[in-house]
Amino acid sequence: MTTYVGTRAPRVDSVGKVTGGAVYGVDVALPGMLHGAVLRSPHPHARIVSIDTSAAVAAPGVEIVVTGRDFPFLFGAAIKDQPFLAIDRVRYVGEPVVAVAAATEAQAQEALDLIRVDYEEMPAVVDMRAALDSDAPLVHPDLHTYKRGPSDIVPHTNINTIYHHERGDVEAGLAAADLVVEGEYSAHAISHVALEVHAAIAQYDSGSGGYTLWVSTDRPFLLRNELAAGLGVDSSRVRLIVAQVGGSFGAKGVPVAEAIAVALARHSAGRPVKVEFTREEDLVASQLRVPAIMKLKTGVNRDGLMIARSADVLWDSGAYTAYTVGVAIRGSQTIIGPYRIPDLKILSRQVYTNKSITGSYRGYGTTQVTWACETQMDEIAVELGIDPVEIRLMNGYEEGDAYINGQIMHSVGLRETIERSAVEIGWGSVEREPAPNLRRGKGIATMIKPTMTPSSSNVVINLEQDGRATVVCAAPEIGSGQDTVLAQIAADAIGVPLSDVLVPATDTLLSPYNGPVASSRTTYHMGNAILSAGAEIREQVLSLAGEVLEVEPETLELRDGVISDLDGKTLITLKDLLAKFYGEYYSITAGARFSSANSPLLKADPGEEWMSSIFWMLCTQAAEIEVDTETGVIRVVKIAAAADVGKAINPMTVEQQIEGGVVMGLSNGILESFSYDNGRIENGNLADYKVATIMDTPEIVPIIVESVHAEAPYGAKGVGEPAAAATAPAIGNALYDAIGVRIRDLPITPEKVLSALGEIPASE
Amino acid sequence: MTIDLSITINDVPRLITADLRSTLLEVLREQMLLTGTKEGCGVGECGTCVVLADGKPVTSCLVLAGDADGATIETVEGLAADGELTQVQKAFVKTGAFQCGFCTPAMVLATTAIFRENDQPDIEDVKKALGGILCRCGAYPKILEAVIEVKGEGT
Repeated sequence: MTTYVGTRAPRVDSVGKVTGGAVYGVDVALPGMLHGAVLRSPHPHARIVSIDTSAAVAAPGVEIVVTGRDFPFLFGAAIKDQPFLAIDRVRYVGEPVVAVAAATEAQAQEALDLIRVDYEEMPAVVDMRAALDSDAPLVHPDLHTYKRGPSDIVPHTNINTIYHHERGDVEAGLAAADLVVEGEYSAHAISHVALEVHAAIAQYDSGSGGYTLWVSTDRPFLLRNELAAGLGVDSSRVRLIVAQVGGSFGAKGVPVAEAIAVALARHSAGRPVKVEFTREEDLVASQLRVPAIMKLKTGVNRDGLMIARSADVLWDSGAYTAYTVGVAIRGSQTIIGPYRIPDLKILSRQVYTNKSITGSYRGYGTTQVTWACETQMDEIAVELGIDPVEIRLMNGYEEGDAYINGQIMHSVGLRETIERSAVEIGWGSVEREPAPNLRRGKGIATMIKPTMTPSSSNVVINLEQDGRATVVCAAPEIGSGQDTVLAQIAADAIGVPLSDVLVPATDTLLSPYNGPVASSRTTYHMGNAILSAGAEIREQVLSLAGEVLEVEPETLELRDGVISDLDGKTLITLKDLLAKFYGEYYSITAGARFSSANSPLLKADPGEEWMSSIFWMLCTQAAEIEVDTETGVIRVVKIAAAADVGKAINPMTVEQQIEGGVVMGLSNGILESFSYDNGRIENGNLADYKVATIMDTPEIVPIIVESVHAEAPYGAKGVGEPAAAATAPAIGNALYDAIGVRIRDLPITPEKVLSALGEIPASE
Repeated sequence: MTIDLSITINDVPRLITADLRSTLLEVLREQMLLTGTKEGCGVGECGTCVVLADGKPVTSCLVLAGDADGATIETVEGLAADGELTQVQKAFVKTGAFQCGFCTPAMVLATTAIFRENDQPDIEDVKKALGGILCRCGAYPKILEAVIEVKGEGT
């Protein structure tokens, strides 16, 4: 029996957010704080010949001027390839070159104009295909010398990641197929556009050699560890105090403003330094979704059963790898889709280019590969004359099917997501032509995503003397509602009212380790840790109550702050128990660790266990759209989005994630696009980089599918990422249904629609 | 160069000396420490800095502080000044009309302005009125639910 789990409890962060009381990273201010500003590269690729900062150093209010030579450290999640400030050469337009700290932001900005940098321009490579050429300029000639993790590179090329996976015999499978469909698809760079820009305050304590940062991040410990490794100090010497996060979507995990703030603070004699990006800096010089070009060749038999698939994926990391190596490996795996395909082969390569850095973006590669997989799935259905819903049901994973590494999959509600989204959109009927220039169509797309596996979460719960429970865990609230969900789990696990549970802000000095608030992993991992620690608190309380009431603890229950006997008769409230008897029990505290590492669910083919996921997320979306054949403009009428979440701890926050994912997926798919001039982003502002508003939002029907997961807290998996992935292909497939136009390159723009209709010439 | 201003902020008359180049947003956030008003772009494109000036929503990053002289400004901090959430704020909480919350002060203020004009606004008009405020979390469907809740048509 649960009191709070499964209910639409109002979010615990409600009052702060509707009253303006919530404090975000950009809101933090400290006494004596300096303000930083950054001089950035105007060139995509150039050697730094000289830097003259003398006039800036002497400018009013200026305290510190730092260049890469003053701070010669390299960082990077998988490959240590990135300097805090450019050293000797710049590799993209917008790369930080010189940082200044002054008494005011205006003084810091004015000092930038006084800095003289001489560059010697070099040939740039700004196209990912061209980056593969044998005579392409090398973005990192020293790639082979960098410290890096276990993933493979190709030395003396631009290839910073290369990955293969094979299962069965793909050539034989393709040869035996009745039909082979081949196509090339592309997904473009997208900005996360978290409305809170990147910002950080850093302070250096020369006595201890430690750094303290006030930041807005979704991965406090990974960010801490990256900064510490880059700085060459022990990880606990870097302390991160995390404010409310004004949106992340994968953007706030690597050092961005933090790198600049640390570089300045190192030289500021103990004064804190705040660095807050402008929106333009945030758009061009933080990180973007990794663009991908995806070639797919799929063999099917005439009944529609999939036999073989060969995938060749090329990713563009931009100038530095950040989190893209993982995207290129993990992301490419799910290009197979949620389908049983016996013979398959995946080749994934990622190249450096002289463009803005890319990185993790809601779905970690899933939004890109789902576009390719699901667009081609529709092409196969059309070629065979099979209904797009039917072909997905026919091939889709079911409980107990083997994943592409042999893992036997559990908690697979794919079928229900397909069926229910199709029913909700009214599949099979459409009013084709509501007006002479308008055509309507319907499309469907599905997706699969693993979660980061293995990973671990730790929690400490302290039952305060007033009966409130403090749940100390490093899971910053990035907007997805996890503080609420974790509080609901804690309230039921301990047996206290939800209003008596506090999930405090993260401080890496005080919180035990947690993996990132990413990969939709928090509810499952931290939820499990809280279940254990909460049960231990409950046990301690009942043991105390048993002593006080002189009964066996086993005859007592604690629920919603009330201790009762097994017949439900109230004996004493928790608050009364603690008020009367807490004295000698000075604290009731419990800690717990949860790791997915040793679960039997991860068993797979020998050597391929690392590809297993502790749970699988599945989401299907069906779209109805209307296209204006005179303007090419698409209006999305309705989207039915069904996500298999295992169990909704809070149906309201699950709906928020599904609806928000759809809005983002729609915006990514038909509105957002950067224009480039030799690697330089030309539209680094929100007037020209269009993001969906309330006016662009269609009717969205979130559908919650619950295929309970045996090892999850109350069966709950994750939901944050999946809903953003299937929207674009569902719209693309609906466009084909409406007017027979197939777009394979994102975004789906009015120009592409009109040129496909032959109304205007195709453009490059 | 500074300028002396007389601005009523959340019902309190204030005498403020500001840099001549300051925007209303800077005065609110940096001088009055009313950080509930957010900056998302600084150039009038995202709408997160919306406050009410003489009852009308304005993007405070585009208003020079000098132009606010004599105005009556309401920020999100003024809404529940007595500790009791307003009907609009309660509806946002009940329907979950926010995620990260960064655009929420602007959304709440703009919605408040709509209902002060008309307690039964047309939903299409509401969309137009809120169309200039970005919410990257995509809370839009739940924001419309909140509007329906305030109209008294909620469940």
